[in-house]
Amino acid sequence: MADVTNHVDKNGANPVAAPHERPVYFRGGGFRTEPRRFVGLAVFAILLIIWEVGSRTGVISELVLPAPSQAFAAFMELVNSGNLQKHVGASLQRLTIGFSAGSLLGLVVGTAIGLSSYARAGLSPLVSAIFPIPKIALLPLFIIWFGIGEGSKVATILFGCFFPTVIATYGGIDSVDRTLIRMGQSFGLSRWEIVRKIVLPAALPAILSGMRISASIAIILLVAAEMIGAEYGIGAYVLLAGNLMSTDQLIAGVAILSMLGLIVSWLITRAEKAFLGWRN
Amino acid sequence: MDLRVDGLSHWYSDLEVLRDINLTIPQGQIVCVIGPSGCGKSTLLRLLGGLEQPTQGQVTQVGEPPVGSLNPLTYVFQDFALLPWRSVEDNVSLVLERHNLSKAEKEDRISDVLTRTRLSDFRKAVPKQLSGGMKQRVAIARALSVNPAVLLMDEPLSALDSQTRELLMDDLIDLWTREQFTSCYITHNLAEAVRLGHKVVVLSRRPGVVREVVDIDIPLANRRMSDPRIAEIQQDLWDMMREEAQTADLELAP
Amino acid sequence: MSIFKMTRRVWLANLSAMTAGLMSLGMPTVAAAQDDVVLGALRFTSHGAGFVAYERGYFEEEGLNVKFEFFQAAQPIAVATASGDVDFGVTGVTGGLMNLAEKNALRIVAGVLHEKAGVDGMIVLASNKAYEEGLTSIDDMPGHSLAMTQVGSTFHYMTSRIADEKGWDIADIKLVPLQKVGSMVAALKSGQVDMMIMVPHIAKALAADGAAQQIGKLNDYVEYQISTMITSVENIENNPDVVKRFIRAYSKGIADMNAGLLDPNADPSEKEALTKILHKYVYTDQPYEKAAPSIQNGAMFLNEGAALNKTDVEKQMNWFVDSGLVDSDLTVDQLVDSTFVETN
Repeated sequence: MADVTNHVDKNGANPVAAPHERPVYFRGGGFRTEPRRFVGLAVFAILLIIWEVGSRTGVISELVLPAPSQAFAAFMELVNSGNLQKHVGASLQRLTIGFSAGSLLGLVVGTAIGLSSYARAGLSPLVSAIFPIPKIALLPLFIIWFGIGEGSKVATILFGCFFPTVIATYGGIDSVDRTLIRMGQSFGLSRWEIVRKIVLPAALPAILSGMRISASIAIILLVAAEMIGAEYGIGAYVLLAGNLMSTDQLIAGVAILSMLGLIVSWLITRAEKAFLGWRN
Repeated sequence: MDLRVDGLSHWYSDLEVLRDINLTIPQGQIVCVIGPSGCGKSTLLRLLGGLEQPTQGQVTQVGEPPVGSLNPLTYVFQDFALLPWRSVEDNVSLVLERHNLSKAEKEDRISDVLTRTRLSDFRKAVPKQLSGGMKQRVAIARALSVNPAVLLMDEPLSALDSQTRELLMDDLIDLWTREQFTSCYITHNLAEAVRLGHKVVVLSRRPGVVREVVDIDIPLANRRMSDPRIAEIQQDLWDMMREEAQTADLELAP
Repeated sequence: MSIFKMTRRVWLANLSAMTAGLMSLGMPTVAAAQDDVVLGALRFTSHGAGFVAYERGYFEEEGLNVKFEFFQAAQPIAVATASGDVDFGVTGVTGGLMNLAEKNALRIVAGVLHEKAGVDGMIVLASNKAYEEGLTSIDDMPGHSLAMTQVGSTFHYMTSRIADEKGWDIADIKLVPLQKVGSMVAALKSGQVDMMIMVPHIAKALAADGAAQQIGKLNDYVEYQISTMITSVENIENNPDVVKRFIRAYSKGIADMNAGLLDPNADPSEKEALTKILHKYVYTDQPYEKAAPSIQNGAMFLNEGAALNKTDVEKQMNWFVDSGLVDSDLTVDQLVDSTFVETN
């Protein structure tokens, strides 16, 4: 505005002169994330290259961090010895059983807390009290309760998955649009029908994102679970590598765990696409 | 089947919402209920269909619902209340599933209501793909599928833009002209009330009491906004409401 | 030296040297500078020689200003020594230690704890359940399960040595890695595992409580070098004199411990004096009267003069290499620096 005024002032003798023009500059945009392919991959590759070069030139001492090539060699050793399948197989079995049982139980308890005033009053403080307990601290007790076989390993993962699922489920149920429930009631749907056909599908987005978290927790707890008398398992492999200070094997094992995490995350994304397609 | 309200009062703990309402919704008529916001219109509708229990008084069904009615008192909600993960036909199917209908009968009912609401081409669409007007037509189709005795409509057009509202109003008039359904229609929009109502019930501000019941005996199909009689009724209604609305507007929310 | 190789302590040392240099500009020079060293230790009687050497001023006599850094387990001591966070550590001859030595991070410089027949040492325990079912002696071990901390731990090695002595196949004993001593005890008490080998002060307490049964002593079958003194290669190369003086002082502590706690004819007043010193570090949460028996139970045979059984260390190394737990490139000279103490 000041500009315009100046313009007129300066040209006071000639008020009909063409007013100063300029285009409105663009100030929108930004803050919108768009998919950028290969950027993630490139960052990963560049880090690996820097790491490898650092190790080769001795800038990064072998004691501090083994080279990626050494970790890869350790991984290939694992593949060639045939132990990879044994380790992955044992871990996958524990993960699958622990995660499914924990999620299922969590779903049931979470639904109960979400729908029943008594369950909410009785159980939700209990959940808040037990959730933050580090499951690793309970390992000696788990040994006594569930034995040193598969029981205590599955139980560790189960406990880890149970609580986030409970919280996600009842959080999801709490945020279900009440008019949908009232609609169900107004058409005379039974309680069970309302839960099954309205409440749970509506809470599914929250439940699935809870599962994304609990699946990661399951992988984190794998190492803890396999502290107890595990002969095979990626967690056991990582622990042994750590105890023996075989850092190359340690990195290889950790890489397997993170691959596992990527696969699980991909599976859940697939599940979200399949079940939550209606959101888009 | 008529629906009759006798001496109905309602409180939310200390707050009196409705006071001594007496009202009849006769078969084959649309009764519009208007009133300033917060006067308890929606509460009245929930009480009518048994979604809430009145503190005092009662609501009575007079006579038998039509043969084949699965849910005599059926609601149409302001925000449609469609399940976003179900397609159009599955949203209708939802309210039929528990009635042990044969597959063929269920299919018949679904195709019938979708034809009546001109939605047959959109059976497989999900709510997200539909416009607001279409969504409300799906909700109306769903309500019709259970063959209701009384349609309880809670501001069904207020979530729509004005053109869609006009179109849907025409649809409702067509529908009534064909099958003379019974309805209690809640709205704050006077134009809707004078277009659709055989009777218009004016509620005062909270606690809501019946201030006036206006009968409009011009056939629904013949009502035009340009008709001076319609304009006059609307003006009368507005004169009644104006003061109530102004006062209500100045009150703090409870 | 690259940044990554330069450890935190080296940084600090350089920094304090610079500061000292600056400060000394305006001050008279202080004679007989003390060398600062950090000793990584566990709060066990078996680590007591270091506490005695400190309390009785043996370190000071050697011009060493010793600070203790306490750990919950032996394994991290090796890692901390490699990283330079501690200068000296007392720890078992484990696979982890060997792999760190293979990376030229640290070496064994002296012996500390040795299993020796007739002296208190590692005890083999059976669970009550297994004991009732007939596991009453070492000879019954095959076919039973045994709890240990980890694959490649000293417990693992001890078991294989017993199997060797007896001519069993180690595969006949089911080894159960449970990571922590607490978990091992829990598993044995509840009968989830049949056996474990345990340090005397814990084993004796379990047996006395009736929570488990003693079925034998390790040193009746195997005599071997359990734990050793380690230091970083950097210390060996740059401060061999400090290492020498440290071991000399530590040996005096060892001599006191062996004479005062293990010798059956020990002077009772000396025994009490040593126990009191140890009580400052071990079982500090218990009153002296209660702690004293536990402290004395924990005494094990220490290598006189910190002498090292290099032959046995090599034997242990070969076992780890043969089991595929340690890189086969490792040589005994990489693992042991025998210039500081007498070896055999």
